[in-house]
Amino acid sequence: MASERPLLEVENLRTYFDTPRGILKAVDGVSFTLDKGETIGIVGESGSGKSVLVRSIMNILTSNAIVPDGAKVCFDGKDTRNLSRSEAKHFWGTQMAMIFQDPMTSLNPVKKVGVQITESIRYHLGASKQEAMDRALELMVQVGIPEPRKRLREYPHQLSGGMRQRVTIAIALACNPKLLIADEPTTALDVTVQKQILDLLASLQEELGMAMILITHDLGVVAGRAQRIGVMYAGKMVETAETTTLFHHMNHPYTEALFKSIPRVEHQSHTRLDAISGRPPDMVRELVGCRFAPRCRYAQQRCVTDEPELFDTGQVGHRQACFYPVGSPESAQALAANQDAGVTAAGLDLAAAAVS
Amino acid sequence: MAGTGKVHMRGDEALVTVEDLVMEFPTGRRAVVHAVSGVSFDILEGETLGLVGESGCGKSTTGRAMMQLPPPTSGSVRFDGVEMTDLSKEELRRTRTRMQMIFQDPISSLNPRRKVKDIVAEGLSIWHNDAGDTAAQKVNEVLDAVGLDPEVVSDRRPHQFSGGQCQRICIARALVLDPKVIICDEPVSALDVSVQAQILNLLEDMKARYGLTLVFIAHDLAVVKNVSDRVVVMYLGKVCEVAGPDALYAHPAHPYTDVLLASIPEPDPDHPVSDRQIAGELPSPINPPSGCRFRTRCEKAQDRCSTEEPELREIAPDHYAACHFPNEVPVTVGG
Repeated sequence: MASERPLLEVENLRTYFDTPRGILKAVDGVSFTLDKGETIGIVGESGSGKSVLVRSIMNILTSNAIVPDGAKVCFDGKDTRNLSRSEAKHFWGTQMAMIFQDPMTSLNPVKKVGVQITESIRYHLGASKQEAMDRALELMVQVGIPEPRKRLREYPHQLSGGMRQRVTIAIALACNPKLLIADEPTTALDVTVQKQILDLLASLQEELGMAMILITHDLGVVAGRAQRIGVMYAGKMVETAETTTLFHHMNHPYTEALFKSIPRVEHQSHTRLDAISGRPPDMVRELVGCRFAPRCRYAQQRCVTDEPELFDTGQVGHRQACFYPVGSPESAQALAANQDAGVTAAGLDLAAAAVS
Repeated sequence: MAGTGKVHMRGDEALVTVEDLVMEFPTGRRAVVHAVSGVSFDILEGETLGLVGESGCGKSTTGRAMMQLPPPTSGSVRFDGVEMTDLSKEELRRTRTRMQMIFQDPISSLNPRRKVKDIVAEGLSIWHNDAGDTAAQKVNEVLDAVGLDPEVVSDRRPHQFSGGQCQRICIARALVLDPKVIICDEPVSALDVSVQAQILNLLEDMKARYGLTLVFIAHDLAVVKNVSDRVVVMYLGKVCEVAGPDALYAHPAHPYTDVLLASIPEPDPDHPVSDRQIAGELPSPINPPSGCRFRTRCEKAQDRCSTEEPELREIAPDHYAACHFPNEVPVTVGG
C-alpha cells in the first residue's frame, strides 16, 4: 500500500462560508488520505462539517464558499480545485460520484428513472440511446431492482425509498467512478432497508474496486463497513484510525461519547443512555482551546486555553487530538479531579450533564 | 405473520384498549389500501408500549387512529373506560386533551412564525386556561422540565433552534395540558444518535415525573427496546409478535422479528455483519398476500402459510407470536 500513491490526498483543507453573521469556518484544517478500493468512514454530528468536507473535495460548493490557500486536494495526481468548469463536468461522474441522504430530493421528480440513469452515460461516454438504455438495464440489475425493465419507465414517486436510493446508486455508478462518496446514504431509511443498501454498497465496491467515503452520524453504521474511520467535530478531525483500532482504543472523549450514546439492543430495556450534553459550538465565533472542551467530562484548564493538534498515538495510523486521551492515567486523574469539583474547567456541571 | 387474535390482551385493567382496529383508505378505481387490518393491543397505566415495524406497516396509522385522526374504519379504541369511536365531536375534543402526540420531524411540526411561548401555550389558550400568571407559570414549568431555559427561549422562534431542541419544544407542548397518554410517532428518527440519546432520556424522565403512559412508534428495534415495557411488532397492517423487550431480544419467535434484529448495525467491528437480510420489498397493501402477510419474504414459508392466517398465540409466558412455525422459545421461570 505504501509504495503506491493514494487515490485521494487531502491536506489542510479549509472551507469557510461568508454569511451575514460573519465567516463560518465549516471545515478548518482537515487532512487524510484514501487508497484505491479502500473505504473510509467519516463520523460526526450534524454541523461537524463532514458534508462540506466532501463537497469541497468534489468542488461543488456554493458561491459564498471561501477556500483559503494552503489546501491541497489531490485526486489521482490532479488537484481537483484547479479544474476548469468544462474539465470538472467530465470529472464528476467518471472519476468521483456522490449519493445523498434523501433520494427523493436528489432525483428529478418529473423525469423517468431510465432517462435519469442514461443522461450521464450519454453525456460522458457518448453512448447512443440504445447503448445507454442497455447499460442502464444492466445497472438496475446490478443494484438489485426487481422488474428493471418496467422500473426504467417509472417516475421516482412510484418507487419506495429504498428503491429510489438504489436508483441514485445506479446513477452514481453509471460511468464507473474511482471514488464513490456516500453522504448519509441510509439516514432517511428504515433499519431493514439501511442494511440492504449498506450490503449493496459493500458488494458493489468489491466488484468494481471503487474507493468509498461513507459519511454518517452513527458509529454503528461504519463499524462493519469501513477500513478506517475519521471522527470529525466542529470542522476538525479529532481522531482517525483503522476501524478495529478505533473501537478497541478510543482515545478522544468525543469518539467515546458518540459510541456511548448509541442505544444497544443487548442492553436491558430502560438502560439510561449516556447522552452528550450541550451542542456543538457556533462556528462563526472565534474558537479558543479544544472545541469539544465545553461538553467534555475530562476538560482541564489547558483544554480551555490551548488547542490540541492531531498527533500519533504510537499505534499504526492512529492519530488523535486530545491532551487527556481516554484510558490514559492523565484522563483518569482529570476525570477524578472534575468529579471532586462537580464541574469541569470549561464549566460543565457533571451532575446536570448526567441527567440531561 | 400476522395475525389477528387477542390472547395477549390483559383485560379491564388496561388504560387504553385497541381491539380489531381496521383502517382502510379508498384509492380510486375501487382499490382499497389495507393500512391496518385487525390490530389489537392494550396499554396499562404508566407503561410504555413500543410499536415497531418498517415504513408502511401501519404503525403510524395505528397511532393516529387511536387519536381518531382520522377515526378507524372499524374496531374499537377504549381510553380510560370511554369508547373513543362513539364520542361526539365535542366530547372527542375534550378527550383529546388527555392524549397528545409528538411527531417525527420536530422542525416542520412547529409553526415557524410563532414564538416558543405561544406554541407551547396554545393548548392552554384553546381551553381558556391562559388567564394571567398561572398559564405563564405552567409554560415556564414545562419548558424547564424539558431542559430549556424559559427566560432564554420564550421569545425565540423555531428556526433559532436545532432539531433536538425543537423536539424538546414539541414535548413541552404535549405536556402542557397534563395528558395521560402521549403517542410518540418516530420522535427520534430525524435526529443524530447523540441527540437521540438526549431525547430518549428526556422521555423516560418525563414519564416518571408526570406519570405518563407512552406509545412509542419507531422502526429501530434498538431504540424501541431501550424505552419500552412491552413491544408490538407490526408488519403490513398486522401484529407479528408481542412480548417484553428483553424477551423479544433474547428469543425472537417470529421470523420477521429475527430480521429486524439482524438489521441493527452493531457498533463493533469484531462482530461480523450479519448475512441475514430481509428479502425483497414490502408487498402492496392494496393487494396484501393471502394467509400470513409476511410469507412472501419469509425464509420459513410453507404452503400452509399462504392458505391459513396464523393467529397470535402464547408461546411462552407473556410472549405471543402469530406464526405457524415460530422459533423455539425456552420457557424460563421468572424470565
